[in-house]
Amino acid sequence: MTLYHVLALSGILFSIGVYGALTRRNILGILMSIELMFNAANINFIGFNHFLHPGNVWGHGFAIFIVTVAVAEAVVGMSLVLTIYRNTKSIYLDEINIFHG
Amino acid sequence: MMPPFASILFYLFAAVIIFLAIVSVSARNIFHSAIALTGALSVVACLFALLGADFLAATQLLLYVGGIMIIMLFVIMLSQQRHNAPQTNQQWVWAAALSLTVAGVLIYTFRDSFKDVPPTLAMQPTTARIGQLLLGDMLVPFEAISLVLLAALVGAVVFAQDTLPPSK
Repeated sequence: MTLYHVLALSGILFSIGVYGALTRRNILGILMSIELMFNAANINFIGFNHFLHPGNVWGHGFAIFIVTVAVAEAVVGMSLVLTIYRNTKSIYLDEINIFHG
Repeated sequence: MMPPFASILFYLFAAVIIFLAIVSVSARNIFHSAIALTGALSVVACLFALLGADFLAATQLLLYVGGIMIIMLFVIMLSQQRHNAPQTNQQWVWAAALSLTVAGVLIYTFRDSFKDVPPTLAMQPTTARIGQLLLGDMLVPFEAISLVLLAALVGAVVFAQDTLPPSK
């Protein structure tokens, strides 16, 4: 277990999140992929803090802020999904065509 | 010198996380993908504990697994899902190429920059120091994030109303 392996895990997780966010048709799937990317960033913060600054907790503080912002984003996103579903009866992005462009 | 048990545990966690993440982005049933994501986030919490972030591991379990995933399962069950609808759009080849490129570039860069960082054994309890950090040096962002949470709360209530309030 070295810092490089932790960072490689975080990079792989981030790219899986990118793939999911680009390919999912479901809004909920895209939100889940975004959560995966947040977690990859958090693993980076904790890995750097553990290996490069072992006596410090600044990385933990930043990771806590990331988790908080992720919670706020998820709550607003979920209520938006519910509103979109109530109005269009669909949560698939390619069927939602509000602007008729 | 790192004890080998922690290394074994780390690689086990990494394999489980990657497997569950792939299941989560590729499962056909959105419910299965939410369950896989819940497992992946829990194992990420275990990884945090392994890396000496005990408070963050507890936070991850409480907020992600206990909060976000419960809301997500609620929304999945509230919105009627059609069965056997395709869950990926037509651009998955390009998306896979792009994400593989991102992973390759990230891993290559990390290998060049951080290959010879020595492993550390320093692990101390972090909760007291995180508290001092949040209410000391990070006081301004700590107060700002409370405003963000309040705005998210109000926004969620406004969006989730049955009828939007009439605009003046």
